[in-house]
Amino acid sequence: MILRAVEDADLIRKARRGNVEAYNLLISRWERRVYNYLLRIVGNREDALDLSQDVFLKAYQNLRKLDDPARFAPWLYRIAHNEAYSLFRKRRPEGETEELHPETLEGAATLGGNAVFPVELTLAVSGALRKLTADQRETVILKIYQGFKFEEIAEIVAAPVSTVKSRLYTALDLLKTELAPVKARGVS
Amino acid sequence: MSCSPFDLRDYYFKDLAENERRLTEVHVKTCAHCREELERLRGTETALLALPDEEIPQRIGFVSDPVFQPSAFRRGWSALWDSAARLGFASAAMLSAALVVFSLTRPVPQAAAPAPAVSRTVAEADVSKRVNDAVAQAVTRAVAESESRQSRQTQELLAASDRRHALETQEMKVRFEEYIDVVNKHLNTLIVASNDAGGANGEAR
Repeated sequence: MILRAVEDADLIRKARRGNVEAYNLLISRWERRVYNYLLRIVGNREDALDLSQDVFLKAYQNLRKLDDPARFAPWLYRIAHNEAYSLFRKRRPEGETEELHPETLEGAATLGGNAVFPVELTLAVSGALRKLTADQRETVILKIYQGFKFEEIAEIVAAPVSTVKSRLYTALDLLKTELAPVKARGVS
Repeated sequence: MSCSPFDLRDYYFKDLAENERRLTEVHVKTCAHCREELERLRGTETALLALPDEEIPQRIGFVSDPVFQPSAFRRGWSALWDSAARLGFASAAMLSAALVVFSLTRPVPQAAAPAPAVSRTVAEADVSKRVNDAVAQAVTRAVAESESRQSRQTQELLAASDRRHALETQEMKVRFEEYIDVVNKHLNTLIVASNDAGGANGEAR
């Protein structure tokens, strides 16, 4: 993990000097994670892909503003967060960013056409996530799926650590209740 | 409600200090309720992770297009700031340049303030005219002196020549008179001798 961080920092330094190939290599390391983060935030594959491209373009254009290359991940996700919420505002000018109603990602249960996880569980998880507020869902995604520390999540969503914890723990209580029947049937 | 000394969720997500973590761990070993709570958290997380990541439908990449590249100035600037050695060299170069500029532009103390540019130009023209006049006068004076000197020398040479001619004429005159005297003496001698010879012949007859 340390070696990877050093390599990322080296790629960032090269990209800052205009080395596009170094930046493309950096993208290849992060594009899948950023895409899945955005996919679970906006709930639409096309939007998630468009936003991912915008995120990496903006990151490249602002790479010189990144003070500490070791903080690249939260910095990149901060850009992704802003892009996603900018899209929400554009789609819902009245400010209803709390209710996003992402599409059901049934296809998430399959990889290459083969069933990997029980469809019932993935549908239940997708449904339970949709019942969370946008802030709660994003916090769950950043902590459970992306593995960020609380301080990093606070930096990404621009909120205090205490708020981040509150959102996560409330969301987990809700998810526990929503997913209990599925787990009780022994699907997990 | 948890009876743990610290938040079990903080413990689960490893967000406790080391001593807090140890105390909670000891408590959980003896508290079935808290163990159940931890199991529920673990079960919820496991269920959430059943939703797998998707592959990105299209790889993202940029071409080496000038539109996306920072300008040459920015690349140079970034390269400068990314390298301590380059930055140090640039600083030293700037310091050296500043010293040179300061030494060249430092005002030199002067007795009088320099005249304005326009007055200086006029003064320069005036000085130039004066110099030209002085040079012309000096040349004229030198030519006149030279001609006068040559004329005087010619006069002196002519006078010397006349004197030499007069002397030579006088010498020739004296020599001629001496020659005439000699001729007269020879003639007188011949006359005397002739007279003596005529007297003797008469006596002999």
